[in-house]
Amino acid sequence: MSETLNTQKPRIDGALKLSGGADYTADINLDGQLYGYPVGSAIASGELEGLELEEALGMPGVVDIFHHDNFDSTLKHSPNSFAEKNTVSEPRLPFEDTTIHYHGQYIALVVADTFEHARAAAQNVKGKYRANDQVTSQLDELDADNVAGLPGVLQEGDGQSRGEADAAYENAEVTLDHHYSIATETHAAMELHASTATWSGDHLTVYESTQGVVFQRHALSHVFSMPPEQINVISHFIGSGFGGKLFMWPHAIMTAVASRRLKRPVKTVVPRQSVFTSAGSRPRSMQRVRLGARADGTLTSIRHDGSNETAFVGMHNDTVISATPSMYACENVAVTNRVGEVNHGMPCPMRAPGEAPGLFALETAMDELAWQLEMDPVELRKKNFAERDPASDLPWSSNHLIECWDNAAKRFGWENRTAEIGAMREGDEIIGYGMASQSWEAMRLQCSARVTFLADGRLQVSCGTQDIGTGTYTIVAQTASELSGVPIEDIDVRLGDSSLPSGPLSGGSFATATVLPAVKAALDAATQALIDKVTQDGQAFSDVDSESIELNDRALTYGDRSIPVTTLLEELGIGQVTAEASAEPGDEKNDYSFRSFGAVFVEVRWDPGISRLKVERIVSTIDIGRAINPMTARNQVEGGLVMGLGMALFEQTEYDKSGYLYNANLADYIVPVHADIPPIDVELLDYPDYHLNAFGARGVGEIGLTGIAAAISNAVYHATGKRIRDLPISIERLLMAN
Amino acid sequence: MADATLDATVGHVDPNDTSSLQTMELTVNGQTHTLTLEPNVVLLDALRERLNLTGAKKGCDHGQCGACTVLIDGRAMNSCLLLAALAEGQEITTIEGLADEDGTLHPIQQAFLEHDAYQCGYCTAGQMMMATSILNDKDIAKDPASIKEAMSGNICRCGAYKNILDAVQSAHRTIEGA
Amino acid sequence: MQSFELIRPESVKDAIGAQSERSAYIGGGTTLVDLMKLGVMQPDHVVDTNRLGLDEIEVLDDGRLKIGARVSNSRLATDARVERDYPVLSQALLSGASTGLRNMATTAGNVMQRTRCPYFRDPAKPCNKREPGTGCSAMDGINRNHAVLGTSEHCIATHPSDMCVAMAAIGATVVVEGRKGTREIPFEDFHLLPGDHPEREHDLRSDELITHVVLDAPLEGAVSTYLKLRDRASYEFALASCAAIVTLEGTKVTAARIALGGVATKPWRAVDAEAALVGEDATAKMFEQVALLAFQRAIPLEHNAFKVELGQQAIARALRDAVQQASQGEHQ
Repeated sequence: MSETLNTQKPRIDGALKLSGGADYTADINLDGQLYGYPVGSAIASGELEGLELEEALGMPGVVDIFHHDNFDSTLKHSPNSFAEKNTVSEPRLPFEDTTIHYHGQYIALVVADTFEHARAAAQNVKGKYRANDQVTSQLDELDADNVAGLPGVLQEGDGQSRGEADAAYENAEVTLDHHYSIATETHAAMELHASTATWSGDHLTVYESTQGVVFQRHALSHVFSMPPEQINVISHFIGSGFGGKLFMWPHAIMTAVASRRLKRPVKTVVPRQSVFTSAGSRPRSMQRVRLGARADGTLTSIRHDGSNETAFVGMHNDTVISATPSMYACENVAVTNRVGEVNHGMPCPMRAPGEAPGLFALETAMDELAWQLEMDPVELRKKNFAERDPASDLPWSSNHLIECWDNAAKRFGWENRTAEIGAMREGDEIIGYGMASQSWEAMRLQCSARVTFLADGRLQVSCGTQDIGTGTYTIVAQTASELSGVPIEDIDVRLGDSSLPSGPLSGGSFATATVLPAVKAALDAATQALIDKVTQDGQAFSDVDSESIELNDRALTYGDRSIPVTTLLEELGIGQVTAEASAEPGDEKNDYSFRSFGAVFVEVRWDPGISRLKVERIVSTIDIGRAINPMTARNQVEGGLVMGLGMALFEQTEYDKSGYLYNANLADYIVPVHADIPPIDVELLDYPDYHLNAFGARGVGEIGLTGIAAAISNAVYHATGKRIRDLPISIERLLMAN
Repeated sequence: MADATLDATVGHVDPNDTSSLQTMELTVNGQTHTLTLEPNVVLLDALRERLNLTGAKKGCDHGQCGACTVLIDGRAMNSCLLLAALAEGQEITTIEGLADEDGTLHPIQQAFLEHDAYQCGYCTAGQMMMATSILNDKDIAKDPASIKEAMSGNICRCGAYKNILDAVQSAHRTIEGA
Repeated sequence: MQSFELIRPESVKDAIGAQSERSAYIGGGTTLVDLMKLGVMQPDHVVDTNRLGLDEIEVLDDGRLKIGARVSNSRLATDARVERDYPVLSQALLSGASTGLRNMATTAGNVMQRTRCPYFRDPAKPCNKREPGTGCSAMDGINRNHAVLGTSEHCIATHPSDMCVAMAAIGATVVVEGRKGTREIPFEDFHLLPGDHPEREHDLRSDELITHVVLDAPLEGAVSTYLKLRDRASYEFALASCAAIVTLEGTKVTAARIALGGVATKPWRAVDAEAALVGEDATAKMFEQVALLAFQRAIPLEHNAFKVELGQQAIARALRDAVQQASQGEHQ
């Protein structure tokens, strides 16, 4: 493996994306299509007593309006099972009952002949509500001493607790006990969620902006009580999702029902406001971290109690404590997470779920401990480096965290840091340095793929996964090219179609580790199918033991004999040879613990005269195993760091006391823009993790977003002496903090 | 004269028909299209839903993200806030019209490809149209800080900003050198 | 966005003739189309101003600068005379919105820009500005972005414009034309405080059209700066902004113009601060003192109390930066 893998390759779908030719869901216009436009509830809690529809129904172009009283009563809930690949985001069916659980909950779908007509009519659909006096707009602070006192469900830490954390804390030489909170965040992918449904007899085709065509197909099959084979979900290009498009949302069901009833294709592009209210968020979390240590910095106790808000319409455990048991060598660890219901739309995983919020708390606490101990924060972490995974007591498959700390510190110039708070200045600005560790679990799932040798020499690779912008199209092509010798430009990759062999969700950083082994298995199977044909009597290799034949550089070879695949296909008189195969993880999970690690260092500038904080530069060294395409992989890490900058400084989805989502738009929900972006230096270590798969890749989508918020908050403390434990670190928090 | 002018410019408005369709000619990428639209159609929807030119994207529909950026007489504008009727008589350029007719990529497209200046690709057309406008604008300086400031109305949630900046600077060098 | 009739007159007279209670003028459309999509503005007739000319910038004999209503924010910001004589206006314009929006937005449109209060922008929510008498949702809701100066019990919505803050500091006249003829409205009188009628935002009659904004002649030897403070570095409305214009004799301030954005219900002249500064030494300490005066009558609410201090910081720093230019100029 050298020429094509672990090499910077421009994206094979680049020409399409750069010319406007890539077909995202909303770009697909079908003959005779109608336009759906949703109407959301104006209140957050209560009953929908009725709808004023007459005016809207009489407006130009309006075909129908769907709502509780006329919706399809035959729909069923999806079992919502991850193992069976039919998870949905919001378990409640659209218009299922008249109870309002959150602001923006869909109360109607207007369908009209044009987008403008649908939108105009939707503005004239008015709900009549009986609002509840009681709205749970947000959970109270985590009651630190009495987690059982909180509303909601206690999630113990999956048996990840060990030792006697409380007793060790009581006996520790140095202790620390702090509370942290993180505001609700919204994925805010640039592409609006969209769904176009069209029925042909009893066959349903859905064009959807989704990170999981297979999951949506299965979910739809349960909702509509149809065999999955009669449903196809297509998502060739996705304007990213960050978790917000992993699982089906109600708009897709509304749209498919409307299309079936009206016997025409229906296209619903969810307006940005509804994306905020009704298509997912990272829920607000509150965390308490208690650390106990010896005076030399050795951790003796970690207790991490988390909680997150979920919706009344469904349970989402954001597992903010997920990384904690594995981060540091400590004999006594206890973790819990608690979930309580609020009148918000359904939360769901958002990029680096668990780890991003959890490591903000833990890695800020580690910085606080370093200050208490008067230790260098890097040294404190090194002191507690875990040689094996302390949670599972298994050896790491591959762990180069120490090198991450060292390299990043060197690239950053950490040795230039003056430890004293506020001591580094330039003009009006005070300079702060901060760092944190980064981590994300590495996973691999079952996957199928299909490979076809075509007569013209091209190779087609198909898999029912998606490319959400991470570069899956390209790395699949790189892999197939590497293994077959077919030049990358002669490889056709087909993704984003649930009729293809079943592939994974594009999420959790597991797609690469999952898909590439299936590509190899399918290529091997297709090669074997070809060999089976050419070793039959009268064929080119009939005299050869089939096991001795190899695929090399677009040809089958045996000793000195090498015949191009195209020649073989021509001699066989067939247009193609195709095969499908699956690959799944073995029992390596019993032998090793798989985790990626990294270190991130940040410089901030604080101008106290105008309360202006900016991130001046970011350095991150990451160990993700092998990067199949270092160019797209580095882009992923940089993107995660940028999102983390937003998480640290800007992002908060705000609900007022009435449960009203106040900033459901891209002007008031503040995400980073060009001008916020400092120089970013990302180093990818290259230690292939062959225990996870033959390609040594562990995945890269999430890890950049972990740790960065803590590194920024730690740098802010170094500059200002203000320890902001609540995200975002807003201007008012900086102004008001002592 | 005044009244006559009004009538002539209103088009065929039936006082009983609130839909008030208007026929207009839009010149997009050098090609003239005759469209009959209601006045409340914005250019973005006209391009995407009527002309099937779907390269310009809808990310917010309110001038808050820049994904819909197109060129109007060479200057970048948010096509989601521009009534289609008001674009009549002006040269509209979309991403579909950026490359040469023989398919040769515009320097900005080539630079985006080489610098991996995108991830999901959804904001990309808007980024490139804005970059094209900026590189042609003598009033905008081309140092990194000025480019970043001038590009700040084009949000990239994937966070490929660093590569976008590299690509814009690289394209600037290419264009200047040419 | 509801249906409407688009009227495209080719003279100011026809434009005024086409205007009615149920109509709205459109320039760049960056406010109107946005608010029509939200259902906040629903005119039956939209009168296009794009064929009216009104796109010239000219220096008048008395040294004032006359700006046509349709001059785009981009063009105004980069006009050589504006850059030379009114750099504070150029800076304010360039700190607003984005390149694309500035290419569309017009001078008159920016004067007529409407508040970004999210409750105003959602027809489902009570709002005295949008529907008089329904109440103010922001008062007990989220009011981080709202005003602390010039508020009333009925409305705390912030005026969002940067351009207008600079114009308030410079001094200007809004020239309007209606069926009864031409009027000239002093800039400080154009925008109205919400008081008991937050739905009345400006001193413009329903038939009137803004044709020009005329800037006062530049103060001789003045130094100035526009400072905008916000969460992210660009493409966001101000949490607090300050346009400061100062003239000096030696170290003494001889004239001062201080206007604020992001903190008030209209482009806000900090007249008390200005008066206190004139005749004083231009020191950091003095700037901080007069900054306090500007917020003496501030009424902070649950989420926007920080704007008092932030606004004071904006004033003190803007004055300092402006004065530093003067001292640097002396050294040149």
